[in-house]
Amino acid sequence: MSQVSAVTSNRAAASDPAERYRLIEEIRRGGVPTAEIHDEVRRHEPVLEVQAFRLWYGGAQALFDVSMGAPRGKVTAIIGPSGCGKSTLLRSVNRLNDLIDGVRVEGDMTLNGASIYGPGVDVIDLRKRLGMVFQKPNPFPMSIFENVVYPLRIDGERRRSVLQEACERALTGAAIWNEVKDRLKESALGLSGGQQQRLCIARAIVADPEVLLLDEPCSALDPIATLRVEELIAEISQRYTVLIVTHNMQQAARVSDFTAFMYLGRLVEFGPTSAIFQNPRLAETEEYVTGRFG
Amino acid sequence: MSGRAAQSSGRRTPLSAHGAPGVWLLALALAIALLMIVLLVGAIGLRGLSTFWPRPVELVTLKSGERLYGLPQRTEAFTPPVPIEGVGDLASAIDAEGRPLRRLYRVGNRDLGQEAFRWIPLVEAASIERPSDAVAIERREWGLFVGRIEALTEDGERIEGELGSDEVDEAIRRADERLGEIEALQGGELASLDRELESLRLGLRAQEIRSERLEGVELARPLVRWGRWCGLLAGVVLVGCFAARAGGVGRGRAIRAMGLWCLAGLLLVGVLTEHPWARNALDAPALAARQAVVGERRAALEAEYEGLLARIDRIRAEDARFGVIVRDAEGRLAPRSAASPDEPMLVSQIVRVVRSNEGGLDDRARVYLARWAEFLADEPRASNTEGGIWPVIFGTVVLTLLLAVAVAPLGVVAAVYLREYARQGVLTSLVRISVNNLAGVPSIVYGVFGLGFFCYTLGRYVDTGPSAPMQALPWWFLIGGAAVAVFGALALSVAARPAPGRDRSAGMRLAGGVVGLVWLAAVGLLLAAAATTPYFHGFFKARASEGTPTFGTRGILWASLTLALLTLPVVIVATEEAISAVPRSMREGSFGCGASRWQTIWRIVLPGAGPGILTGMILAMARGAGEVAPLMLVGAVKLAPELPLSGEFPFVHADRSFMHLGFHIYDLGFQSPDAQAAEGLVWSATLVLVMIVFALNLSAFVLRGRLRAKLRTSAV
Repeated sequence: MSQVSAVTSNRAAASDPAERYRLIEEIRRGGVPTAEIHDEVRRHEPVLEVQAFRLWYGGAQALFDVSMGAPRGKVTAIIGPSGCGKSTLLRSVNRLNDLIDGVRVEGDMTLNGASIYGPGVDVIDLRKRLGMVFQKPNPFPMSIFENVVYPLRIDGERRRSVLQEACERALTGAAIWNEVKDRLKESALGLSGGQQQRLCIARAIVADPEVLLLDEPCSALDPIATLRVEELIAEISQRYTVLIVTHNMQQAARVSDFTAFMYLGRLVEFGPTSAIFQNPRLAETEEYVTGRFG
Repeated sequence: MSGRAAQSSGRRTPLSAHGAPGVWLLALALAIALLMIVLLVGAIGLRGLSTFWPRPVELVTLKSGERLYGLPQRTEAFTPPVPIEGVGDLASAIDAEGRPLRRLYRVGNRDLGQEAFRWIPLVEAASIERPSDAVAIERREWGLFVGRIEALTEDGERIEGELGSDEVDEAIRRADERLGEIEALQGGELASLDRELESLRLGLRAQEIRSERLEGVELARPLVRWGRWCGLLAGVVLVGCFAARAGGVGRGRAIRAMGLWCLAGLLLVGVLTEHPWARNALDAPALAARQAVVGERRAALEAEYEGLLARIDRIRAEDARFGVIVRDAEGRLAPRSAASPDEPMLVSQIVRVVRSNEGGLDDRARVYLARWAEFLADEPRASNTEGGIWPVIFGTVVLTLLLAVAVAPLGVVAAVYLREYARQGVLTSLVRISVNNLAGVPSIVYGVFGLGFFCYTLGRYVDTGPSAPMQALPWWFLIGGAAVAVFGALALSVAARPAPGRDRSAGMRLAGGVVGLVWLAAVGLLLAAAATTPYFHGFFKARASEGTPTFGTRGILWASLTLALLTLPVVIVATEEAISAVPRSMREGSFGCGASRWQTIWRIVLPGAGPGILTGMILAMARGAGEVAPLMLVGAVKLAPELPLSGEFPFVHADRSFMHLGFHIYDLGFQSPDAQAAEGLVWSATLVLVMIVFALNLSAFVLRGRLRAKLRTSAV
């Protein structure tokens, strides 16, 4: 990271201070500038595509014409200062925002070409096609086994052998099988924070989701647990498309293939992670990723 | 208040900043509250436990020459109306301050025409002794007799020879055997004969009522009725299938559910009206034949009954041969009954002879335990002032359990809907406020409501069916209207729900506002239909026609429902709080896994809210178990002949009245003919009630602790 900032800081210092914040100023005035989207992104086929998406909490608009696509089989990170709408965007993907009173949306998203907000969409089915991991580990007050197979259970799966096999597969996938294989019957609440979060990841992947949504999955964990979860994300990304929200830029740089920078509900810049962190097109992005703004 | 800090800054933190006086005040308040609780529990425990400890029998000789036996209860200083000359013969006649003392004696022997309790100023006593042959005899009637056993008699002749306690005990044991035999006959064969006679009579009566009602009405042939019924069923299934197919992709679920409900409703109507197993009423000759058959059977049963009565009489005659001569201090005989004052009383009239003047601590302890066992396990006698309280305990526990069974699902379901499904608005706030206010309504109001609604309206409906049934055709129009209203309400509520993430349009808002009214109309129409159906004629019409309603009167079912209503707010409030305390992250996790709201509630929210719901249940049950006022109106009685649960069909007799500890305490203390004698029992019964409530709370507390341990979050 220090290398990255050393390389980019020269460019930022060179530009004119008044010109430097042109985009930010426009956003602060309420404008919706066109996002800077790198060409590399367009070269990949998106599994999830956001199309001019707008969202209001009551009267307050939280997302402004966000359009982006998450490339298939890649890790896409969304970064941005607090309150920039990155979590809102993520929660809009599996329509968790529906549960909040007074939320209104315009625009649409598509998952593998199928509309998410169109009429007649079965939300429950949609959520089954997406896996979600939350900021704070939230295992259910049940045994470890029941936690992992919960998505299958609510789907009506009762065959013991199927459940056991899926449980082992998911736990192995979440790199926690060796730690818990002897205590599957014990309460999941007895696990440590890091273990709980990996358990939640196992729960999210047990039903083979089309996209895995991670909402700041490491923000409640200590550094060592964070490291293990990050390794896990890198491993998982070989099999799943991952959309991860993080406020930790090092983390975004470490685990993601693409990075989107959001500010005050607008998508500002979206491109390959290496480009965003080492050679961003916009000065604002550079200021943010080097920690001088935001 | 670190000393060094005070020195270095030269200032002291004032005492008031530390809040010391306030803290002392808080501690004082707590101490006072604790003291009151300890006093209450201590008084109940002490008095309740000491009731059954056998007291010595004292022989008091008064200066007037009168002699009497008595069980000393307590001694206290008093101010005599006329100042007393002298200090009396006894050294202990005055207390340390020179005031005269008096002692309360339980003298019993009410059948000799005296009060059971008597205050005796000790200065009037010439001597007080404890003769070893003085005994207190507990009898089945007339209460305690305090005196001396002189002899046993057989056929009116004294049995000569040594009379020890063993001989008396042996005679009592044999008398108990004879009484046990009689009781077994009465409770077993005699009771079952009674029941059979009763059911024969009621069966015949029901036939007669049916014949009167159906005179001139001819049912279709059974084959036709089966055919019609199957046709109706098939029609409903077909309609359901079409509805399911016609419903689109998104709404299929709702349509399917609607179809199922309609199917169930129509099936119910079909069962009520056209059931193929209905039988034609008996015509006059058939009825007469049936009457003859029943008459024969009844005659046979009655002969058997007479035989049994004769057997019981023989045992009684045998029992009457054994008497016992007991005399009080003046030499008066303990009579057999008020009608025969010169006959010595029967051995079988004695429950227990307490010889508390002889024998050691272990003998007294044995009597003490035997009395407790009798108190807890036996039925009351002598208008509740003696004997046990087993039916009372049983009634209280059954009532509380029924209450829990009724209130738990109702309260939890209501709270879940209110918290999870109802749109939070003015209406829900109003409902919530009303529920909270219900908790403050005086319980007697619930009693009046329970009597009027459950017993006299619902109960009477169960017994005899609607009092003013409609004609068939208008009634079917009513049912049709109700069906339309239900269907309309369902359709409106589906239409009023916006697609998630979209705003509700004006039309949807209008539909949402109207849907409540339509539901109200639907429920009103259904209730009206049920209340005026011409097809339901009650389950217990025969008994009701004789003026003895089954459910149309006070009973344990209605009492428990009334109490359920009374405790509903407690459960609803507790459940709502428990539900809202389930962390949002749990719900979101569940939704994120693709669970529906229903699945989330059943698998995550309700288990997580379990301990809180259980707390509400504890509170509700404890309140219900201790309630008296409404029970006096809806079912608690002074003496219930039978328990609400028994080994005979249908095992749970929800129509029976019952005894209840709270009411029993009131009855013993304030309504009994011998209130002073019952005072000890009041304390003991109170102790038992407190222990029951305590046991209920404790078990629920333990259960809650276990649940909570299971749900305890650790780590993060």
